[in-house]
Amino acid sequence: MDVIGSFALVLALLAAGYALVAGIIGIRTERPLIIKSARNAGLAIFPLVTLAVGSLVALFFENNFSIAYVVEHSNRALPTYYKFAALWAGQEGSLLFWSWLLSIFAFIALFSNRKKHPELMPYVGVILGGIQLFFLILNNFVASPFGLLGAISAAGVPHVVTLADGHGLTPLLQYSEMDIHPPMLYLGYTGCTVPFAFALAALLGRYPGEKWIHITRKWTMVGWAFLSVGILLGGHWAYQVLGWGGYWAWDPVENASLLPWITETAFLHSVMMQEKRGMMRVWNVWLVFITYMLSILGTTLTRSGVVSSVHAFAQSSIGSWFFSFLAIVLVVCLVAYWKNRDYLRTDNQLDSIVSRESSFLFNNLILLAACFAVLWGTLFPVLTEWVEGNKITVGPPFFNKVNIPIALFLLFLTGVGPLLAWRRTSLSSLKRNFAWPLGGGLVAGIVGFAFGDRDFYALVCLILCAFVTLTIFSEFFRGARVLSARSGANLLSSVGQLTMRNTRRYGGYIVHFGIVLIFIGISGQAFNQNVQSSMQVGSSMKIGPYTLVCQNLDAASNANYTAERATIEVFEGKRSLMMLFPERRFYLASQVTQTIVALHSSLAEDLYIVYAGRSPEDDTPVIHAYLNPLVRWIWLGGLVLVLGTVLALIPSRQPQIVLHAERESVPAGVPVSMVHGND
Amino acid sequence: MLKRAKLAALTVLFAVALVFMPAAHAQRDRAKALGAKIMCMCGGCSDAAGKCTHMGGAFAGPCETAQKELKEVDDRVSSGSSDDLVLQSFVQEYGPTVLISPPAKGFDLWAWLMPIVMLLAGALLASYVVLQWTRRSEVAPAARLSPDLLARARHQMGGENDD
Repeated sequence: MDVIGSFALVLALLAAGYALVAGIIGIRTERPLIIKSARNAGLAIFPLVTLAVGSLVALFFENNFSIAYVVEHSNRALPTYYKFAALWAGQEGSLLFWSWLLSIFAFIALFSNRKKHPELMPYVGVILGGIQLFFLILNNFVASPFGLLGAISAAGVPHVVTLADGHGLTPLLQYSEMDIHPPMLYLGYTGCTVPFAFALAALLGRYPGEKWIHITRKWTMVGWAFLSVGILLGGHWAYQVLGWGGYWAWDPVENASLLPWITETAFLHSVMMQEKRGMMRVWNVWLVFITYMLSILGTTLTRSGVVSSVHAFAQSSIGSWFFSFLAIVLVVCLVAYWKNRDYLRTDNQLDSIVSRESSFLFNNLILLAACFAVLWGTLFPVLTEWVEGNKITVGPPFFNKVNIPIALFLLFLTGVGPLLAWRRTSLSSLKRNFAWPLGGGLVAGIVGFAFGDRDFYALVCLILCAFVTLTIFSEFFRGARVLSARSGANLLSSVGQLTMRNTRRYGGYIVHFGIVLIFIGISGQAFNQNVQSSMQVGSSMKIGPYTLVCQNLDAASNANYTAERATIEVFEGKRSLMMLFPERRFYLASQVTQTIVALHSSLAEDLYIVYAGRSPEDDTPVIHAYLNPLVRWIWLGGLVLVLGTVLALIPSRQPQIVLHAERESVPAGVPVSMVHGND
Repeated sequence: MLKRAKLAALTVLFAVALVFMPAAHAQRDRAKALGAKIMCMCGGCSDAAGKCTHMGGAFAGPCETAQKELKEVDDRVSSGSSDDLVLQSFVQEYGPTVLISPPAKGFDLWAWLMPIVMLLAGALLASYVVLQWTRRSEVAPAARLSPDLLARARHQMGGENDD
C-alpha cells in the first residue's frame, strides 16, 4: 500500500505542476485545448490524493509497523475509529489530509464551473494548481507519510525494520470529538483557498462584473461555517478532555484559528456593500487575500515552533517552507493588486452617516481591530525576543483585557446594524426601531443587577444580549406581521414564509442569535467557582449548593490503558442528585496519563469533576471540582449558528430585488431587475 | 474567679481573632491573585502557577514547581512584601517570561498600546472615509429611483420591509 500511496502522490504532484504551467501557457496563448487539459489535470489531483489517503488509512488498519508514521501514531490496541484520527495526528499525515481536503474543494470548484465563466476559470485553475503544488511538494519531499522505518546493519547495509507494535495515538486525541474537530478546522482553513483563488483570478483576469464576488461569498460562507464548527468543537474538546475546567486558553494555535475566522466574518458583512452598492471593492479583495494568508499563518505557527503551544507538532524545518510560501502569496497579491488597481476603482458614495453602510464600515473596523489585537498578542513574544533578546509571556489576562471591550462593542453593532436602513435612516425610524430593544436591554440589566450580577462586563453583556435578541425578534416580527396581514396566514407560518423568501437575510439573523447565545455562555465565566480537596471513601467537599461525597475508589484496565476511578455522589441539601465517575487513565503504549472528566451539564451550570490523581505529598486521591455557569449556551449557540449558516446558503424561494438606481425609465410591465438578496 | 478569668481570656482571644482573621483572609486572597499572575515554570505546561493542572503529568494539580512558586508567594506576602516586589523577585529569579502578561513599561508597553493605537487610527480613518463618501454624495447626488419603479419593486417584494 505504501508504494501505491507514494506513487499516487508523485502523480498528483505532476498533475498539479501541469495544471499550473499548462494553465499559464493556455491563458497567455489563448489556446482552449491547453486550457482544457490544464483543467483536467487539476481535476485529476483529487482522485490521486484520495488514493494516497486511502493507502495510508489501509496501512493503519493492517498495522503495518514498517511505516514510520504508522509506528508513531498507532498501535494494535488502538480502537478502530481512532485509526482514522491517526491520519491527522502527526505532521506528515495532517499535511496529506490538508492536501486531500484542498483537492476536494478544488475539484468541486473546477468541476461545478467547468461550463461557466470561461474567462475566469483558467485563472482559478492556475491558482488552485499552484497552491496544491506547494502542498504536494511537502507531501512528497519534506514530510512524506510513507517513509519506511529503517536501520543500518552492523555491515553498514541499510534495511527496513518492522516493529511488533506501534507507539500508539496520543491520548489527547483518543476522544470521539477528535474524529470531527480537526477535519472541521482543516475544512475551514482549506475552505479559504477557493474564495482566494476566485478573488485573485478576477483581479488577474480583470473579470468584468460582480459575479465573482457572489461565488466568493458563497464559498467563504462554507469555509466560515466549517471554521466556526471547528473552533467550537476545539473548545468543547478542550473543555471535556484537558481537565482544567475551561474551553479557551488564548493559546497561539487557538488564536491562529480565530484570525481567519474574524477576517472572514468581516468579509461576509462588507461584501454586501459591494453587492448592493458596488462599494469597497479594494477592501473586499484584500480581506479575502488576508484571510487566506492568515489561514496559512495559522498552520505555520502550529508547525514551525515559532511560538510555544500545547497544540504544536514536533518542531521541524517545515516552518521555513511555509514562511516562503506565505512570502510568495503576499508578493503575488501585491503585484496583482498594483497592476490591476484601476480595475477595482469605484466611486464610493454614502447618502448618510446614519446608514447600514456606515455600520458595516465600523463593524469591519472593530473586527479588524480584534484581529490585530489577537495577532499582536500572539506574535509579541517573538517580537520582544527579536528586539530585546528575551522572551516574555502574553497570556490570557492580556487577551481578555484587550478583547472583551472590543467584543462587546461588536455585539452592540450586531444589534444596531439590522435596525439601520440602507442609504439613509430617518430619525423617526431610528426612534421607532431602537426604543423597544434598548428598553428591553435596560430592563434585563436591572433584573440582572437585582439578582446579584455585579460583574461589570457580565452586566454589560447581559444588556447587549437582550438588546440584540430583541432587535432580531423585532425584525422577524415586523416582516411576518406584514406578510400575515397580506396573506391571512398566522404569524408563525408567516415567519417561516418570510425566512424562506430571504434566506440570506433571515439566516444571517439566526447566525447573530447564535452569537448572542455564545456571548451569554462566555459571560458565565465571571461566576466560575472551583475547589480542590483530598478525598477518601466517605469524605465530602462543598461547591456552590452541592455537596460531593466520595462513595468509592476503584481501578480498571484494558489493553489500551489502566484507570483509577472515583465514584462521587452529588447532593443538594440532603437530596441525592446523581453519581459522577471522574477517571484518570494511564495509556500503556504512549506512557501518558490523561484525565476523563465527569460532567453534569445543564442550561444553568456545569458541574465538572476531575480526578486529579494521587497527591504527591500524601498519596491520597485528589478531586478538583468546578462549577461553571452557562457553558452549555456556548454549544447551543454553535448549533444555532450552524443552522443559520445552512439556511443562508439555501437559495431563497423567490428572487429578491435589488433596487439599482437607474436614470432611465423602465417600460411598464417589465419586471424590475432581480439580481440578488437584500440583506 | 476562675470563671471570670476564663471568660476574659476567651474575650481576648475572640477580639484577636476578629482583628487578625480579615487580615489573614486578605493575605490569602492576595497570594491567590498573585499566583494567577505568574507562570508555572516547570517547562512541561503553559499554565499560571495558581491554575497549574499540569496536563499529561501524573498528578493533575499544581506540579512541584508550581507548588514551590506558590509557597514562595505565600511567604513573601506574609512577610509584608508589596505585589510589585513579589512579582519583581520572580522576574529576577526566572526572567520576564514568568509574568503571565507583559508589564506596562519599557518596550513591553507596546503590547498594550498598539491595539489601542490601531483601533483609534482605524476609527479616525473610517470616520474620514465616511465623511469623504458622504461629501461625494452631496456633490454628485445619487440617481433616484422613479416613483413608478419603486412602487413596482415594493409590490413584488410583497410588502416586505427592506430596512
